[in-house]
Amino acid sequence: MTQPVPASIAAIKRPIDPLWTYYLLKAAATTVAFPVTALVLYFRFHTMRYDFGAEGLRMSWGILFRNEVLLNYARIQDIHLRSNAIERALGLARIEIQTASGSSSSVMTLEGLADPEAMRDYLYSRMHGATDHKQADTLTTVLLEVAAELKTVRLALEKRA
Amino acid sequence: MSRLLLKWLRVPHEPAPPEGSPDSIKIFRAGANYYRWRLVVWVFSWFGSMVPLLLSALFVMGLHKLPPLARALILAGEVLFFAWLVLLLPFSYLMQRLNYEQRWYIVTDRSLRIRAGIWSVEELTMTFANIQDIRITSGPLQKFLGLADLEVASAGGGSTGPKGEQIASSHIACFAGVDNAEQIRDLIQDRLRHYRDAGLGDPNTAPATPTVDQAAANLLAEARALRAAASA
Repeated sequence: MTQPVPASIAAIKRPIDPLWTYYLLKAAATTVAFPVTALVLYFRFHTMRYDFGAEGLRMSWGILFRNEVLLNYARIQDIHLRSNAIERALGLARIEIQTASGSSSSVMTLEGLADPEAMRDYLYSRMHGATDHKQADTLTTVLLEVAAELKTVRLALEKRA
Repeated sequence: MSRLLLKWLRVPHEPAPPEGSPDSIKIFRAGANYYRWRLVVWVFSWFGSMVPLLLSALFVMGLHKLPPLARALILAGEVLFFAWLVLLLPFSYLMQRLNYEQRWYIVTDRSLRIRAGIWSVEELTMTFANIQDIRITSGPLQKFLGLADLEVASAGGGSTGPKGEQIASSHIACFAGVDNAEQIRDLIQDRLRHYRDAGLGDPNTAPATPTVDQAAANLLAEARALRAAASA
């Protein structure tokens, strides 16, 4: 029943390079703490991995402090597409995904995607309520009806006996 | 001027509606009075930042024991800050206008999408299957202007701060400053009615539709049972 993942989505494993530029700017904004934040973000950028499966997605980053988040598409509650002017100048946008968990902050933030809008559409299409539950096809329906007919015949037969 | 600013800040064009049947798409905008409401709030917040500045300047002038140089430096700093605020005035005024213009509330048969913001552009997509409650709020001034905020919440934590105050939750989609909140509410409620399993959901908990193989096996079992019943 799970649909295959489009090749363009399944191919995404790493964030795109402009994200590193953005991280450098972000680190520069911390002025004195630049060496520390730059180092932290360097490792974050270089260890960030995505994996878009048929059922859900996985994102991991970090070496010393390792993080790995797994999320089922069906559990997505809302999708935020956010960007500030600096990110847009670099062609970036963040996708923040919310589940029904207790925190008000997002469960997962997808950064450095080449086409954030396409990703948003993909996630939306997999989300609960975006499409109907798959309808049974006609052959299955006919078979089920024949079975139901046979059952009534059997029940009538048993009653007569 | 505003076109240039939008281009310069690379604000994306009007948002694309989420997938859904095309004739169900309804796009709502903030009410015309929302702009006036923003202006009022903006004027008040401007004076709100002005008053402490003036008070502190008066206070510093009243301190006679302070060395004259220190006093002059502090006052110069305050004058500079004041000049900065005045300089920003036209810019922040333009922002109020743009913030009003750059707002879209899209409702389709399955989901809603909200786009807002200039410097920081935010777009939220939610399916109706995940919606928990709808809330309409309006203060006295908003009421006078015929406005209301419509909030649609999905499940999950609106966490509370250390003092128990509500922190703005990203689980809430806010139709800010609409003048037809009741109409939007009715529309959303009507669409919600189509989801009997609305709320916290997993499609796997819905009754599974059998595959062809299962249906065929079912038919075979039924046929065998019939023969058993007939030969008995």
